Amino acid sequence: MLRITNLNTCYDRIKALDNVSLHVSAGEIVCLIGANGAGKTTILNTISGLIPCALGQINFEDRKINGLPPERVVAAGISQVPEGRQIFGPLTVLENLQLGAYLRFKKREKDAIVEDLEWMFRLFPRLKERIKQIAGTLSGGEQQMLAIGRALMARPKLLLLDEPSMGLAPLVVTDIMNTISALRDRGVTILIVEQNARASLRISDRGYVLETGRVVLEGSSDELVNDSDVKRAYLGKDYKTFWEGRDRP
Amino acid sequence: MKLWDAKNEQVAKGDLEQVQLERLQSTLNRAYKNVAFYRKQFDSLGIHPSALASVQDITKFPITTRQDLGDNYPYGLFAVPLRDIVRISSSAGTTVKPVVVGYTKGDLKVRDTVTARFLTAGGVVDTDVVQICLNPGLLNWGRALKEGAESIGALVMPMSLMSTSKQLMAMQDFKTSVLLTTPSYAMHMLGVMEAISIDANSLALKAILVVGEPLSADTRDRLESSFNVDVTAGYGPSDVMGPGVAFECNQKKGFHISEDHFVLEIVDPDSGNPSPPGKAGEVVLTTLTARAFPLIRFRTGDLAFFMDQTCLCDRTLALVSGITGYTGDVLTIRGVKAHPIQIERLLNGIFEAISPRFLVHLYKENHLDMVEIWLEMTDTIFSDEMKILDNTLRKLRQQIFQILGLQVMIKLIEASTFDHYALPSCGVVDDR
Repeated sequence: MLRITNLNTCYDRIKALDNVSLHVSAGEIVCLIGANGAGKTTILNTISGLIPCALGQINFEDRKINGLPPERVVAAGISQVPEGRQIFGPLTVLENLQLGAYLRFKKREKDAIVEDLEWMFRLFPRLKERIKQIAGTLSGGEQQMLAIGRALMARPKLLLLDEPSMGLAPLVVTDIMNTISALRDRGVTILIVEQNARASLRISDRGYVLETGRVVLEGSSDELVNDSDVKRAYLGKDYKTFWEGRDRP
Repeated sequence: MKLWDAKNEQVAKGDLEQVQLERLQSTLNRAYKNVAFYRKQFDSLGIHPSALASVQDITKFPITTRQDLGDNYPYGLFAVPLRDIVRISSSAGTTVKPVVVGYTKGDLKVRDTVTARFLTAGGVVDTDVVQICLNPGLLNWGRALKEGAESIGALVMPMSLMSTSKQLMAMQDFKTSVLLTTPSYAMHMLGVMEAISIDANSLALKAILVVGEPLSADTRDRLESSFNVDVTAGYGPSDVMGPGVAFECNQKKGFHISEDHFVLEIVDPDSGNPSPPGKAGEVVLTTLTARAFPLIRFRTGDLAFFMDQTCLCDRTLALVSGITGYTGDVLTIRGVKAHPIQIERLLNGIFEAISPRFLVHLYKENHLDMVEIWLEMTDTIFSDEMKILDNTLRKLRQQIFQILGLQVMIKLIEASTFDHYALPSCGVVDDR
């Protein structure tokens, strides 16, 4: 569905992504894990057209999408839930959701939009309770639900999630993760970026490990969860000496 | 015909290319980051992992040789800390030092998967009784095959040091349905069966899977008709990888490469340029998923060629021919890789200053590779006491067996013979 080859992205003269290749097949949940500054968010922002890529190819459903402006990327079927939610604070919950369907509204898909609103409220009953509430006054977890709901209102084929667990209480994280996992059953394919490696590997099929803009490991989530390097670096099972038993290269 | 790993053995070409590219890039990144040897090699060529934009770009990267493996003994090429390694297997190698390969838990799983692909393609199923008959030099493969067969769920008789007649007795009594061995040993078994009048029809065999040596069409025909079974072969360099790098299916047209775990190149041994399909060259292998022991462009010393055709079986994995020969002076004896220099070193060790000249003579007896070492009779070896002379030779035979896992015979020849026939010292005469 999504196929990225040799992606290079620069911020001014600093290389943020160095020859990154990855793919997401239809119906998959794929996660990108890595430390701060590894380039995870940059990948998402490059896909959605927020940052231009210097070199490389991004194909979505066999169509080249790099270089397209963000709105065309959304129209192609990719929606992003940005880091830190970035919902429209002064607007109500309903207005936020409706804005997510902006492109479809222009295409006169009004009935379908109403249907999808119903779906959103089934998916997130909490949002229904707060339908008229000003979004800025929601709790962190509710704001995250709203942000995901808003992205889904565009009926994306591929959903890009940037740190959905950030700043949320552990119980809420479980909740959000379960919802994301359930989205797959509705035919949504997901690329998720997380610092919470454990939570994201639990719900994903495959994963890529990024270090300083490069993919250093890829594999099924099962393999990654059991990988000693991943355990040490991202699952908090650190050892005192990494190169224990041998000379440091 | 069943496939063990249908999803990956039937992967669409475009998807495979993407997966290979992703895995190759991450392998290069890891090797560069974690293995000093590779970092040095890459840096000396002025190439960085990010120079790889397609799988074909692998040709820009430096070659790794058996010499490099020996030089980095024991742990120099490991890309993970020792505590992540769960298995080490070591083989004689072809230089002073043995070759040591490490496996993480995940690496062993991958090895089991590719081995199980080979076994399944050869017809092994969970109800089979599998008997493994390999010579001690192929011990590592014996383990890989045992574990692969066990992961399928078959009943396995691991390799043992039983005589051929005992192996045959086991084959009859335990109703062995699949024999895993080398082509020459299978032929040897056939000879012994004739000698002790065992009728092939009295066996429960349905398939023979062979590894370690090239399988000639004649040998295959002979084995298939005599045992009334299917014979298929697997390929891998015996010192560093398992036997599932490439494997035949029931079409027997060529070897399917496990392309999702290995990149197999065929290059001209002299120029290093890629060989086109149909033209034989040296097999060069790169691992795509190995964590503990990534190998970048390893020169196997085996010659083969790409086959530009699709297979009638359901696999989409590309085809490579069987081994058509070997490069350089690495010998392959009963599947074991060896180098004459290893024998020279032994002699130097035993006789110190004045080491005698020798020749390695290879020939076939009852279809088995035989090794004879013609040793120059010098004053250092000579003794007028038979016992002392015998002892010296026995010691030498034992040491060669310990290093190479091969039984050899030693023939003493007069020094003048070397001069008279202008025999090369420490050379090889291959009459196979």
